[in-house]
Amino acid sequence: MKRTTVWSRPSTRVAVVTLAIFFLGALFAPVVAPYNPTAQPDIVALKDLPPSVAHPFGTDPYSRDVLSRVVYGARLSMGIGFLATLISVTLGVAYGAMSGLAGGFVDAVMMRVLDAFMAIPRLLLLIALLAAWHSLPITTLILFLGFTGWFSLSRIVRGQVLALKESEFVMAARAIGANRGRIVVTHLLPNLYSVIVVAATLGFAHVIVLEAGLSYLGIGVPQPLASWGNIIQDGAENVSGLWWLSLFPGLALLAAVIALNTLGERIRETFQSTR
Amino acid sequence: MTEPLLSIQDLRTYFHTSAGVARSVDGVSFDVGAGEMLGIVGESGCGKSVTALSILRLIQPPGRIEPGSHIIFEGKDLATVSEEDIRGVRGNRISMIFQEPMSALNPVFNVGDQVAEVARIHEGLSKKAAFARAVETLALTGIPAPAERAKEYPHQLSGGMRQRVLIAMALMMKPALIIADEPTTALDVTIQAQILDLLRDLQSRFNTSVLMITHDLGVIAETTSRVIVMYAGEVVEESPVEGLFAAAHHPYTEGLMHAMPQIGHERDRLNVIPGTVPAPTDWPHGCRFRDRCPYSWELCGRDHPPLYQIGVGHVSRCHLAIEPERRNHPHPPLVVQQGVAVA
Repeated sequence: MKRTTVWSRPSTRVAVVTLAIFFLGALFAPVVAPYNPTAQPDIVALKDLPPSVAHPFGTDPYSRDVLSRVVYGARLSMGIGFLATLISVTLGVAYGAMSGLAGGFVDAVMMRVLDAFMAIPRLLLLIALLAAWHSLPITTLILFLGFTGWFSLSRIVRGQVLALKESEFVMAARAIGANRGRIVVTHLLPNLYSVIVVAATLGFAHVIVLEAGLSYLGIGVPQPLASWGNIIQDGAENVSGLWWLSLFPGLALLAAVIALNTLGERIRETFQSTR
Repeated sequence: MTEPLLSIQDLRTYFHTSAGVARSVDGVSFDVGAGEMLGIVGESGCGKSVTALSILRLIQPPGRIEPGSHIIFEGKDLATVSEEDIRGVRGNRISMIFQEPMSALNPVFNVGDQVAEVARIHEGLSKKAAFARAVETLALTGIPAPAERAKEYPHQLSGGMRQRVLIAMALMMKPALIIADEPTTALDVTIQAQILDLLRDLQSRFNTSVLMITHDLGVIAETTSRVIVMYAGEVVEESPVEGLFAAAHHPYTEGLMHAMPQIGHERDRLNVIPGTVPAPTDWPHGCRFRDRCPYSWELCGRDHPPLYQIGVGHVSRCHLAIEPERRNHPHPPLVVQQGVAVA
């Protein structure tokens, strides 16, 4: 039932195929990419070449192959996005569920703390923090993105838990002798899956954009590593002359984000219609 | 009656809210015999559901079963046993059927798994063995093609089928007592009759006691042998079911009977009992039904009536027991005189 409805929408399939291509490309980057993404074979003769058969996405001012950099960029951008989302979803669900289950005073305190976190603009906070590094380790970037991304999810989860906790089927579970742990694991969490999956998908898209923005500003993924954001930055000074440098990573970014958002929306619709 | 299966003595369940202490169940005592089908009837807010939930100690804060209450079942006092012990009773020796089968089922699990969960909790059966048992139990409740239905989700079943699933959950461990809290209220009349037939049939087949909680006297008449009428957190009348229908004693019971629409008695409007149940934070002094009663007099405002013995197994919490001639001189109830009642 559920499968057929989510799959029957063509947009879902387009999104999934797009994401599959990106994931596979990222996973098999060494096979897919025609060149080494950081190699500078001839900084004089091969620099700033427009797209051609040898270099379908052209080359950059350091004579690096842009296609190879976009492919490796997918690896880094999507990898960072995935891991950061994993962290924020875990934190968000844990914090929200704890707050909702505890209820009362504990819940009130935890929510006020959350309000304080939410009052800080995420992008400004990240800029302030990340600017402290000269050459940022990727792990640190992932941790910062993950630790700043769970607030709104935890609030949603907490609301759901509060509602589910009072639901009649939880009462019915207690009435058949289920203990607290069993109620949380078999009755509360599975009812949160839809919320979690949707939030994770949309959060994933958001983190990719965020990382691109930070890398564009030069405080995200450091050169010579390739991420979509810093490839765009490579061409930013001369967009009219070196348009291929910003266009292709930009398109990749756009496609990935639209695909994720579409998928998130479709999943949300599907879960809503089966309730 | 021999040793009762369940004996409730002076049960008091209070809710300690900021608006005051709501004495939702206030000194209720009754017994349920082995294999007996007992009915509890009363309108919304009279405490019948809270009584049901109290038996399995499912009352959540700020609600509390007050000290001094006793719920004696199979030699244990459920009001005071440990949390672990009460969990061992729930769904195992005493099970419950809820009013709204859609919301009592978890939407993300198939119904077979939900019925199976009972046996996994109480017998530690494997997932597969428990599921097989669930299918057998679903068959008992008359669900056609139970093996296929078991794999379906609650939203795929009709209301009647869902209620059968809840009954299967309740039956899984062959409990000594099933508490059915308004089991047919959410169903169509035709399905209602089927579900009541099923409950009666299962009750006689397994000799299970059933505590039937309802606001519908028709359901009581059809299924139970003895009935308890609750009003404002108290038992106001208890009687064998024939006795009650032939000669209700308490004016509240009388009012409930008159409020039942009857075939052959055409009327423009239905009879109602004027007024509503008072707030449980503020039960009136004396008789709690006094303001809505057509017979009340000074005594009713002064003395809280005890349960008077009326006949064999028939008690009533009404002072009319000592001044029966007052029944011949009804007057408009106080709520009507004060213009509070909605006409």
